[in-house]
Amino acid sequence: MESQKVDMFIMTNAKYFESYQINAIRERLIAIDDSRWAMISTIQLKDPTTSLIVSVLAGHFGIDRFIIGDTGLGIAKLLTCGGLGIWTIIDWFLIMGVTREKNMQAIQQLLY
Amino acid sequence: MVRNKLYVLVSTACAAGYIWLFLNYQRSVSDSIEPGVCLFKRLTGIPCPSCGSTRSVLSLLKGDFIGALISNPFGLIILSILILAPLWILYDIVLQKDSLLQVYNRTEIFLRRKWIALPLILLVILNWIWNMYKGL
Repeated sequence: MESQKVDMFIMTNAKYFESYQINAIRERLIAIDDSRWAMISTIQLKDPTTSLIVSVLAGHFGIDRFIIGDTGLGIAKLLTCGGLGIWTIIDWFLIMGVTREKNMQAIQQLLY
Repeated sequence: MVRNKLYVLVSTACAAGYIWLFLNYQRSVSDSIEPGVCLFKRLTGIPCPSCGSTRSVLSLLKGDFIGALISNPFGLIILSILILAPLWILYDIVLQKDSLLQVYNRTEIFLRRKWIALPLILLVILNWIWNMYKGL
């Protein structure tokens, strides 16, 4: 793909990924065929900030885990009172990273 | 979810669950102080959807099925997971399979469907309202 297009994509979507992954994504995007651009430009990515807000407000019920697609862990969190409150607090710090990892998994399915 | 990560997570959770149950069982035998660890309840004074599930599991262990249902129906799900999951993991480890992982992934996809998820969410909310009504 043209590097201009790729750079635009990276600039608008950098906040959805871990910083160390961005270079790999950029190189991969340049390498792949132009026909996949439509799929990649319309990909649904989850905002780490949103999941942090949800985690602080409703993490006790596992809603943050449901939102990023970890349904199983969400149910576990709901059933155990947010892991007796401990898991809730741990997830305040983990959830942004987990969201970025989920975004990476989503885009990887299209890249490879 | 990777196989080993899921298995370590589930077994740690089960171990924590059993320790928690053991501590509360001893407490419930010696005196009748209510366990009050729920962060949400401490902060707001309102019980959360899963408040009362420790009491529910303890009543189940004593054979009091009705009492368990009245405390919190979640106790039934929790106790069945606590009993089933370690056995299932042991089975998978011994036979070197990943049947639990496959079932977990399939259940996740199944539960994400709109017509399955919505009634379940409604049930949880109804259970929550019931919890507030009971004043757990």
